[in-house]
Amino acid sequence: MKIEPPAFEVAALSKAFVAGSVRVEALRGVSLSAERGQLIAIMGPSGSGKSTLLHLIGGLDAPTSGQVRIGETDLGALDDDRRALFRRRQVGFIFQDFNLLDVLSAAENTALPLLIDGLSEAEAHRRALAALELVDLAHRGDHLPGQLSGGEQQRVAIARALVTKPLLLLADEPTGNLDSTSGDQVLTLLRNLVDHQRQTVVMVTHDARQAALADRLIRLRDGVVVEDQVLPRCRPFREVLNDLDIVT
Amino acid sequence: MSIKHALLGLLANGPLHGYDLKAAYEQELVPESHLNYGQVYTTLERLSRDGLVTHDVVRQSERPDKKVYELTREGRQQLRDWLTTPSRLDLDLRNETYLKLMLARRLKGSDPREVLAIERRGCFERLHEVSQTRARAEKEGAPLHAILLLELAVLQLEAFLKWLERCEEFLNREKSK
Repeated sequence: MKIEPPAFEVAALSKAFVAGSVRVEALRGVSLSAERGQLIAIMGPSGSGKSTLLHLIGGLDAPTSGQVRIGETDLGALDDDRRALFRRRQVGFIFQDFNLLDVLSAAENTALPLLIDGLSEAEAHRRALAALELVDLAHRGDHLPGQLSGGEQQRVAIARALVTKPLLLLADEPTGNLDSTSGDQVLTLLRNLVDHQRQTVVMVTHDARQAALADRLIRLRDGVVVEDQVLPRCRPFREVLNDLDIVT
Repeated sequence: MSIKHALLGLLANGPLHGYDLKAAYEQELVPESHLNYGQVYTTLERLSRDGLVTHDVVRQSERPDKKVYELTREGRQQLRDWLTTPSRLDLDLRNETYLKLMLARRLKGSDPREVLAIERRGCFERLHEVSQTRARAEKEGAPLHAILLLELAVLQLEAFLKWLERCEEFLNREKSK
């Protein structure tokens, strides 16, 4: 049997920024490896390097030193153009503020990565609708972002991130701009993608309740990993409910 | 939660006998709970003695007679007062984590921040379980009362995690002095 490569792997990853005369070390030697089909939460105080790590994993930025592999591909071995192409096909991003184009419909927004990649409009549209189906919004394909609620807009953004069937889905505070009910829905959706599609999702969050829905929790402080916790499989629904000391 | 007021409340819509009260409490009011008959009957006796409920004895041919309980005017008034008075919130500060932290702080060669890290892992495991159960509650068709109580459990665990973070800040400050 062929051993499946990790969804991603980073080794001795460091990133320094120079702001004027000050050198800020955002990440200082982070090494991690992640199985496929997991929801991984990254937590830590602001300035701990969470977003930097996410951007490096996704190839949005290049490390000062260290390695990033996604599946079998070493990002450092790719030139800028090939890295951009790889990113477009294999990494889906979700941001706090959705980043949808206001003048395009939900389906057009979702189809965009495929159109940029040169797919025919008919095929791109067909796949966009399939991706919208995954987030339960196929019936809203014709709507403009302005006609959708915040939670629905984020679900369109998730569809757009999924439309290329990427190896990795990276989410930076995906519910930061949502009320708690829509936030819970988005998290449940991400959880379902992991459980039913075997999608690998890495999510930066400061919300403990959401991080607690992950399979693994990584905590950063001052650019290093201070905690790497695997959360156990959840017991059956009834059992947990029965165990809660509700009263008397 | 007060069984006394729960029973008064369950009687507000009409008379019930002891068995019905127990069933209504366990099924409709507080999910997954178990009241024993002793608790129900001692509470009902106390309520009768205090004039908050009365009972009729219903004769049954094959089985022992049963008592059907009913709210008195005074019982109804007490229920109304209870419902319209803010609850005394139990701030239970007897807490094992606190004890461990304080002891680790006194013990030579022991760092309370290690205790914090262990407690945080434990708390996250519990939160993982409860918040996943909470997230599934709607899909599983859980009744509203179960959802509300799960929500309370999630929020309490979140508050506890925040408290651990504050403890860490204070302990770091103490260490750097």
